[in-house]
Amino acid sequence: MSHEYVAEIATDRDGKEHVVQGWQDDFYGGKLGFWLFMFTEVMMFGAMFLVLAYYNTLHPTDFINASASLNRWLGGTNTVILLVSALTMGLGLLKMRSGDIKGAKLMIWATIILALLFLGIKAIEWTAEYNHGVFLGLDALQSGNEHSKPFGEILFFGMYFTMTGLHGFHIIIGIGLMLWLMKRINTGKVSPEHHILHWNIALYWDIVHLIWVFVFPYFYMIGAAATVTGGHGGH
Amino acid sequence: MVDTNINYEIEKKKYYKVLLGLLLLTAITFGLPTLFEAGANLPAQMFVAVLKAWLILMYYMHLKGDKLIGLMGIFSLALVLVFFVIVIGFDVANFQFFAESHITSATPTAH
Repeated sequence: MSHEYVAEIATDRDGKEHVVQGWQDDFYGGKLGFWLFMFTEVMMFGAMFLVLAYYNTLHPTDFINASASLNRWLGGTNTVILLVSALTMGLGLLKMRSGDIKGAKLMIWATIILALLFLGIKAIEWTAEYNHGVFLGLDALQSGNEHSKPFGEILFFGMYFTMTGLHGFHIIIGIGLMLWLMKRINTGKVSPEHHILHWNIALYWDIVHLIWVFVFPYFYMIGAAATVTGGHGGH
Repeated sequence: MVDTNINYEIEKKKYYKVLLGLLLLTAITFGLPTLFEAGANLPAQMFVAVLKAWLILMYYMHLKGDKLIGLMGIFSLALVLVFFVIVIGFDVANFQFFAESHITSATPTAH
């Protein structure tokens, strides 16, 4: 069944009929509303970066040591995966706008596969960190015991697991949204003429990518200079 | 209803060019630690991240040419920067409870 908008009709006291203004085709309104939502996302992650920057000013050396112990190559691989997934999502939207629905669906599936790959690599990374005793709730990240890491490193890893975890949660939501989008495309509710949902989900995927653009260097790369110059070792 | 009259081939080229730019900047991200000491590495990394963010916002998120949303973005960014300056530059620099706070009392550089 295709998505057809049937306008409401209002009758005035003289019996004249008038078409009620509908907003179903208000593309710019739909886009603007989604941007407002994305600003709330920026505020949420912005507040976390604020906390991270504050902790960093308190414990700069611990932050560099902790960052040096992260696996930059896995983080870098995930960065490239997200880059390519942003491309496939964007090309999918382009295909939808140009009337190639089958091509658009293929690109969405490609994006979903890349998103799952990202989560898989994140899982490998977290498992390795858990096996090294670095995980939320383990002794190394609790202050006041013989296995405790320096306090600044505890703060760093606390933020690392919180922010990459929340980002991963956004990836999972993104996969859910893309599956929902596929369903809407299959039922004809999203089409080349009515593609605001596709547009906004592509925007959502871009904001998820945008957040990673800052998460990756702040956590993985600030300690890289130390390892390059041989200053600190990793776990 | 929106205009669906777009040229896929032309638009696709733009997307690939942006991807190339982003990949290049990612490669630079990995090269920066060899150029900068640990202290200067963070600002350099953030600068490259801002460049990447600009490319994503302008081309992938279609902000180029969209004045209203662009202005909203600049306004929001300005607000965040003001908070960063106030919180990190002023409030934290003049924090009065360094010894009492659990987080700051463990700081080796506490004043």
